[in-house]
Amino acid sequence: MKVCVLLRLVPDLVEELEISENEVVPFQYIPNERDEHAIEEAIVLKEKLKDVTLDVVGIADPDSADEIDEGLGFAAAKGADKLYKVILNRQTFSRVEIAKALADFLNDRGYSLILTGVQAIDSFAGSLGGALARFLNLPYIGGAVELNLNEKLYVKKELEGGISAEYRLPLPAVVGVLSAERPLSFVPFTKLRQAMKRAEIEEVELEVPKISGVELVRYETPPEPDVLMLEGDVEEVADRIVEVLRDISVI
Amino acid sequence: MKVLVVGETVNGEVQNITYELVSCAKKLGDYVTLIMSDADVSSIDGRVIKVNAGEPNPVYYKIVERVIELEKPDLIVFGNTSIGVDLSSQLSTNFPIATRVYNVKSSKNLKEVEVRSMAYGGKVVVVLKLRLPAIVVINAGSYDAGEGMGKASVEELELKYFDIDDVEFLRYIKPEVEDVDISKADVVVSVGRGIGDEANIELAEKLANLLDGVVAGSRPIVDQGWLPKTRQVGKSGKTVTGKLYIALGISGATEHTEGIKAKNVIAVNTDKSAPIFRISRFGAIADVTELLPVLIDKIREIREK
Ligand SMILES: Cc1cc2nc3c(=O)[nH]c(=O)nc-3n(C[C@H](O)[C@H](O)[C@H](O)COP(=O)(O)OP(=O)(O)OC[C@H]3O[C@@H](n4cnc5c(N)ncnc54)[C@H](O)[C@@H]3O)c2cc1C
Ligand SMILES: Nc1ncnc2c1ncn2[C@@H]1O[C@H](COP(=O)(O)O)[C@@H](O)[C@H]1O
Repeated sequence: MKVCVLLRLVPDLVEELEISENEVVPFQYIPNERDEHAIEEAIVLKEKLKDVTLDVVGIADPDSADEIDEGLGFAAAKGADKLYKVILNRQTFSRVEIAKALADFLNDRGYSLILTGVQAIDSFAGSLGGALARFLNLPYIGGAVELNLNEKLYVKKELEGGISAEYRLPLPAVVGVLSAERPLSFVPFTKLRQAMKRAEIEEVELEVPKISGVELVRYETPPEPDVLMLEGDVEEVADRIVEVLRDISVI
Repeated sequence: MKVLVVGETVNGEVQNITYELVSCAKKLGDYVTLIMSDADVSSIDGRVIKVNAGEPNPVYYKIVERVIELEKPDLIVFGNTSIGVDLSSQLSTNFPIATRVYNVKSSKNLKEVEVRSMAYGGKVVVVLKLRLPAIVVINAGSYDAGEGMGKASVEELELKYFDIDDVEFLRYIKPEVEDVDISKADVVVSVGRGIGDEANIELAEKLANLLDGVVAGSRPIVDQGWLPKTRQVGKSGKTVTGKLYIALGISGATEHTEGIKAKNVIAVNTDKSAPIFRISRFGAIADVTELLPVLIDKIREIREK
């Protein structure tokens, strides 16, 4: 069975973002956390089923194309069999446009299961998984936290407030992964280096179609928070927190 | 403008987000709510179309599609929930879509609508224009649920010759049995990725003990197995409602802050632009691993007196 996972880089939000009216420029990129979970879950499936081959498709814009290599290296070190690097010919915030481009690439490659992460942190115009499934004419389910295969695919999907539900669907299908069923496995640096040396990455360029209907008016910085800042060095901050705890009668 | 609200039910109960969506729709014009189960819908304000399909299912996008054909809305609103995202994303190949929306500006002009969306973990506001008919996916907590409650006028709709068997709902899986219920605790000490190391969870536990509180955490902490799932605060975890929530090294993504309804929030973070400060009453820019030992000593001294 052929499984494919999409991997993408997103802005590292722990670092500063440069926000102007028509652009958000990150300081650096990191692999999308949900995609890392999708890769982990694919590895779990591989372990459960044995006959799985896993392709990981790294997706990048022309100007961040090199940075995806390390992410693909991690995937290889964890057990991915084949690596692709898809370079989109233009940047877009529209997930529907990305979905259309990817559908053209993924169609007819014989994947039984296509995994994406759910909701990248920088998304605001659509969610990729469902749109991709529609363009490929496949069933879709998102919010997956556990996958099992027994002729059909069994998906544990998280709803809200700690409640989950189990669903069954036929393959091929597209599934949006929220978290893997186990913590992300750790890849030591030496193993990553070996994997990156060994890895062959097939490069593909994709044209992103224009689908109209959503227009960016502007980006804005959110308003300053209305919060009382407890300033000072660690000693002073601790004292002020103690004061607050007293004021609200916690101590 | 005519709005179609796609309501949500779980286990035969209308979810709070449905009322929030109705409250949003009310501000925009005419509206009708679609419910796809046999739930008691009597307290949804306004017209309700009921299609008794069953438990929540991503394949019901086909039902929504049918109802759109019948009702011809200008705007279709979904909740930014697990099922809301499944449904809306599968319809986005046919309609312009905005997600993570917290504000929809009403418009007399039936050509387009302006929406505001909170992206980048709460660090950027995005203003978008959508050509109508369009889809908006609204964050929980953006509108007042109370305003969406009232009296329903229900119409049952039967969809004949309708095939929706791709995805089957099998069963609900209830949350694990818990040692403590963080949603009922008065004081919650919560840790995020900024805690750095599993060993530091112990510091949070010490602080919680001194304050007669409990330890909770953000999703990455639970995903890594540092805390059990029952301790997760947020959209897919629990909502805390007590007197105090202390957020240690938590960025404050909307998926997390949806679960914070405590009276007082104290946030400690090294990043002065962390969105968590926006929902906090008190904030401090500090390294939690440096602050915690000092704070714990000070409180212990007071306690021992
Ligand atoms: C469908 C869906 C559902 C989700 N449900 C939930 C949910 O229920 N609950 C939830 O929490 N998340 C949920 N998430 C994930 C959510 O989007 C965020 O990714 C998550 O809340 C981030 O957790 P965090 O703040 O601990 O980590 P990060 O975002 O990585 O933030 C770490 C913070 O720590 C600060 N920091 C770093 N070092 C230090 C230090 N030494 N001292 C002080 N501060 C430091 C950083 O500045 C940063 O602000 C969900 C996501 C999706 C897509
Ligand atoms: N260029 C891209 N833009 C957005 N999402 C992408 C892109 N390429 C791949 N994705 C995948 O889409 C998933 C879901 O993100 P979202 O767009 O929020 O639905 C991500 O986790 C990635 O796997």
